[in-house]
Amino acid sequence: MAQSVLRNIRYRGLTTCVPERAFSNVQDCPPEQRSERERLVRNIGIETRRVCLEGVVFSDLALVAAEKLIAGLGWEKSSIDALIVVTQSPDYPIPATAIILQDKLGLSHGTVAFDINLGCSGYAYGLFTLGSMLSAHGLKRGIMLVGDKSSNPLSLDNGLLSLFGDAATATALEFDEAAPPMYFNMGSDGSGHKAIIIEAGGQRVPIQPHHLERLPGADGISRKGTDVILDGPSILNFSIREVPVAVAELVEFSPFGLEDIDYFVFHQANRMINETIRKKLGLPAEKVPMSLKDFGNTSSASIPVTINTRLQEALAQGPQRLLLSGFGVGLSWASCILEIENAYLPPLIEI
Amino acid sequence: MSTIETFIEKFNEAVDFQEPVEVSADTRLETLPEWDSLAALGVIVMCDMEYKKTITGNDLSNCQTITDIYKLVA
Repeated sequence: MAQSVLRNIRYRGLTTCVPERAFSNVQDCPPEQRSERERLVRNIGIETRRVCLEGVVFSDLALVAAEKLIAGLGWEKSSIDALIVVTQSPDYPIPATAIILQDKLGLSHGTVAFDINLGCSGYAYGLFTLGSMLSAHGLKRGIMLVGDKSSNPLSLDNGLLSLFGDAATATALEFDEAAPPMYFNMGSDGSGHKAIIIEAGGQRVPIQPHHLERLPGADGISRKGTDVILDGPSILNFSIREVPVAVAELVEFSPFGLEDIDYFVFHQANRMINETIRKKLGLPAEKVPMSLKDFGNTSSASIPVTINTRLQEALAQGPQRLLLSGFGVGLSWASCILEIENAYLPPLIEI
Repeated sequence: MSTIETFIEKFNEAVDFQEPVEVSADTRLETLPEWDSLAALGVIVMCDMEYKKTITGNDLSNCQTITDIYKLVA
């Protein structure tokens, strides 16, 4: 696996914005499905999810998170050199959402802005990309907006419907020679690209009228060609095979042992996957915070959502060394060890 | 000592049916009303954690009875 050390990068702050609207996986479904849903909730560990109102998109949440972050840090907008958006829910196929947000946020024309098309693994990849740009000298301050609007309330796919929640997060990094190093481990396996895929709408499968109709698939579930298809067993096998190994490799690569890590924050895939990874690594549950129950699988936002909602108290008490690990669509995975100290971390924003 | 009996116990736990049904070595999976994608994920995790065997979705689709799954890990 690719491993790397990033120096001189300070984690300055994190804000999270979610829709106020919450859907319950058990209550908000037809009564005849309730028993089935109870079993589902028990196993995937997701009770409620936040779902955007019609017409609200990822970048609307991201804009609010970014404004709060910039104001809370007291950063002059002209001092921000880079804006990276990590999402698979862009405003348009082109241009990049980051460039649209450069303008909406009132950042300067001197801003480096682009998107990264990654999902579940995206947070650590974003930290690595933005951190590398800043550590190369010249740029001083960068903001990274990470998340997705993955909910699809009209889907007929029960598994998918109860899994995804919407969230956007904003993270601030700054060049600082006194900052502790960050350690990274990253990998990709495109042979699994069909495990999580939207088949139609790109150039390989241009969109046709029949892609907009719900047609039954091999598994009996009706979907549109523009809907996400998840191959559960493949994702499960990939996650429980690669993630424990990647985490062990990263710890080995760093100067730390497992016992030196205060918290392990994993991508919130589902309870079954996350519990298996935790048990394989032999980690105590209290060192592995989870946000699945209240927010569901929030794609690339799931790691920062978990930090924001579950580690705020710990981070207010003093510096914490975290190991972050994201894995999924691609297939792609990335883990990172970093220390967070005195970061700006306001409570969750709901809109 | 791994036996089909202990496997069936672990199977029942893994599939977590809302309405548990009697399962034997010869039970055909298609006759289990709640044998679904969630149950399959539970069985894959169980085979990995308890038997250190990786079972794919395809492996499971090729199984017709509980014994067929047991043969993959035994």
